[in-house]
Amino acid sequence: MTADGLILQSPFALHRTATFQRTPKRPMDEAKFEAFYRKTAGRIWSYIFRMTGNAATADDLLQKTFFRFLRSNPAIVHDDHLRHYIFKTATNLVFDHFRETKRHREAMVDTPAIAESRAGRDELRHDMMRAFAELKPQERALLWLAHVEGSSHEEIADAIGVKEKSVKVMLFRARKRLAAILTRRGLAPEVRHA
Amino acid sequence: MPELDPLEAQIGAWMQQFAALDDRKHGFPDPSALWVKAKLLQTQAAMDRATRPITRVQIAAYVIVAAGWAALLTWKWSALSAWLNSFTPSRIILDAAGAQAATSLSMTFFMALFALASVTVMLAFHTILAEE
Repeated sequence: MTADGLILQSPFALHRTATFQRTPKRPMDEAKFEAFYRKTAGRIWSYIFRMTGNAATADDLLQKTFFRFLRSNPAIVHDDHLRHYIFKTATNLVFDHFRETKRHREAMVDTPAIAESRAGRDELRHDMMRAFAELKPQERALLWLAHVEGSSHEEIADAIGVKEKSVKVMLFRARKRLAAILTRRGLAPEVRHA
Repeated sequence: MPELDPLEAQIGAWMQQFAALDDRKHGFPDPSALWVKAKLLQTQAAMDRATRPITRVQIAAYVIVAAGWAALLTWKWSALSAWLNSFTPSRIILDAAGAQAATSLSMTFFMALFALASVTVMLAFHTILAEE
């Protein structure tokens, strides 16, 4: 009997090989990009708008996000990977924007979008925007990615550039801060307990 | 099923309500336009990358030519200044009267001068034509 014959083949061997095999990467073509853009642009814009509080800035950063995304020549592995990648790109651009202006707290106070809604009838929208604007940019990103995008702690850590272990604590603090703001403003929603 | 933390539930509910607000008043840019613009930017970046070595060689050529001129002038500065002074009216009169020139410039110097001048002119033409 040869040495090869002594090696027992696990029934999972084939499955394991198939699982760990890299998914072949396909470069993104125009049609794929268009489909991806139509699916994600709205979500990215909402995220950037809620982060910056300014529609014009959100428009600008949305375009920059997709330019940067295309420049990186993304390969299609799966949609979740791309979605995570583009949110990470958007987060970096938003943080860069805050660093450039260095007035992010002040910039949130009198943005055109908020001013419009102040004059308009949507008081709730205005109040919600103001309450969210009281948070730090990182807290806004954390809460949005966790509660709206349903990102995992690992994905959030990667997107905002912190350690995965820190995300849980940071999220807890961000929630507490937002809860305090909402209570102070009388915006806290009723939670039904089972 | 794990029990949801009340704070998490409260904030989660609020965030969902907040996310559901529709704030966008106009459409998004056309993806085809974004694609074309991104491709143009990529092409521009590729061109910049491709011409970077040429630019480096050009800068090196400027430095070498400048160093050549500096070396040539330093090497024969005394002879050159004497030669230039010989163009003064008094020196011209003296020379015409038969006085010997103080110094003379070698053939090597003139050859080096010619070579350097040629390279300088070529470099100048290259710069002008490349920019056009």
